[in-house]
Amino acid sequence: MRIVVADCTVDYEGRLTAHLPLATRLVMVKADGCVAVHADGGAYKPLNWMNAPNHLLEEDGRWVVVNPKGERLTITFTEVHFETAIEMGDDPGLQKDGVEAELQRLLAERVEYLGEGLTLVRREYPTPIGPVDLLCRDAEGQTVAVEIKRRGEIDGVEQLTRYLEFLNRDDRLAPVSGLFVAQQIKPQARTLADDRGIACVEVDYDELRGIDSPALKLF
Amino acid sequence: MRIRAERDDLADVLARAGRAVGTRSPLPILQGVLCEVEGSRLRVTGTDTDITIRTTLEVEALEDGRTVIPAKLAAEAVRKLPAGAVSMTAADGEVEITGNGPRFRLRELNVDDFPKLPEGSEGVSLSVDGASFTSALSQVGVAASGDEARPTLTGVLFEGEGDTMRLVATDSYRLAVRDMPDIAGTEPTLVPFRALRELGRALGEGAMDVVLGDRDANFATDRGSLSVRIIEANFPNYRQLLPESYPNRLVVSKTSLLDAVGRASLVAEDHIPVRLNLHDGGIELSVTRQEVGEETEHIEAEYQGEELTIAFNTRYLTDGVSAVASDEIVLETSDPLKPGLISGVNDEAFRYLLMPVRL
Repeated sequence: MRIVVADCTVDYEGRLTAHLPLATRLVMVKADGCVAVHADGGAYKPLNWMNAPNHLLEEDGRWVVVNPKGERLTITFTEVHFETAIEMGDDPGLQKDGVEAELQRLLAERVEYLGEGLTLVRREYPTPIGPVDLLCRDAEGQTVAVEIKRRGEIDGVEQLTRYLEFLNRDDRLAPVSGLFVAQQIKPQARTLADDRGIACVEVDYDELRGIDSPALKLF
Repeated sequence: MRIRAERDDLADVLARAGRAVGTRSPLPILQGVLCEVEGSRLRVTGTDTDITIRTTLEVEALEDGRTVIPAKLAAEAVRKLPAGAVSMTAADGEVEITGNGPRFRLRELNVDDFPKLPEGSEGVSLSVDGASFTSALSQVGVAASGDEARPTLTGVLFEGEGDTMRLVATDSYRLAVRDMPDIAGTEPTLVPFRALRELGRALGEGAMDVVLGDRDANFATDRGSLSVRIIEANFPNYRQLLPESYPNRLVVSKTSLLDAVGRASLVAEDHIPVRLNLHDGGIELSVTRQEVGEETEHIEAEYQGEELTIAFNTRYLTDGVSAVASDEIVLETSDPLKPGLISGVNDEAFRYLLMPVRL
């Protein structure tokens, strides 16, 4: 990662043209070649950027970044305040948030909550593309892969679909059905899951934790 | 397409079909209603792809054809014309709506983009009286959930129970059951309440044909039809929640109880429960909200059973009591932490099971 804090202007030419007037900005060149220009505010999006693959041409007081589509990002430096480079290595990826990990633990302890006759084979069952949260067997002995999310969205269904594709290649497990579990499942995710024959179950985190609410429920 | 019709009739068919049109649809075409003229009949179709409403009107048809016009704007435009005959003409990408002077020229939406919708559905067919059917639906509908994240609870279950059609809805805090005798039974079918809520206004209250299919439910009267995708999920096993009998039984005037809960609600707002002390001679009703104050009152009532104090969410209690058709309410209880059952005196067709709130 190369980091430069400098007074600069930035010009983009491509699908449209855009100009950032002279100001102090943070310019990052990442190990994969991505270039991002940030202001001193906002946590989400650079002011301008160029994804890899691209070619960075360093001239005196000017960087020109060109990608294969012919888009061009020109950063013109008037004064460089700070510059460094650091080897960051591979990123371990996003850790599951606390609730999701806790849901997995609680459900592994009582998988019957997810369906009558369900028994746990193991947590974090490995597949070539990452571990599926729970691998279970249903009352008939069929394999069930369970993916657990805090919020049930389309991404989660896609993820489970990919796991199922790999798990179903394993003759010892096939046929493997899918069970998508979340505190709340969005209608679009449910529709996609239904379409792919994946069952959905919503779980009450507080109930699993045994926390009493003054509002009692019928079921 | 070119027609002439009475303003009020045309405004009515456009507005009723427009009730299926969602306000936040991502597809611009779904903001429109499809108008089709064939012979002397105008058919108007509005849909959000889950719910479809079709209305028809006998018109003076000057030219057959099809067009899609912006639902809300066209209905309002027709409604605001002077009374009398209105003509609607679609040509060259525009729809002209005129009547006694004023003239609207509205952009057509592309008729080819309008979704192809199934015509009716196959399945169990029932004939019901529209007025009593919509009334029964509104009784159970109060217990249906509005939370789309749990679709199963947003539906009303249609279920055969001998010679009776049973309607059931629950949001997990309360459960409403309404039996409609002398209507043939059906396989359990879960129909979204947000569609059922539209039946009265969209189709009127005349004789209604109901078809419950594998994928859709279809409701039709002489004023039009409404079809909706059913919810393909298993409804909770509600039968186990309805006990055979209760040890405590209270009979109270519906008006007295509603008035009292209404007064208590002024203090309680939604999240503070109303406390009912049930004893010989009636109810001591009280509500306390620390930062505001309290309200207490006595309600005359007949009570058989052990003295008991039970608390309910005021809105849920009001919903259940209001839904009872009789003038006198029966509240049956067994325990402060177990559900109470609300029904009408000598009326077993409607039951409303309400979970109490822990004090």
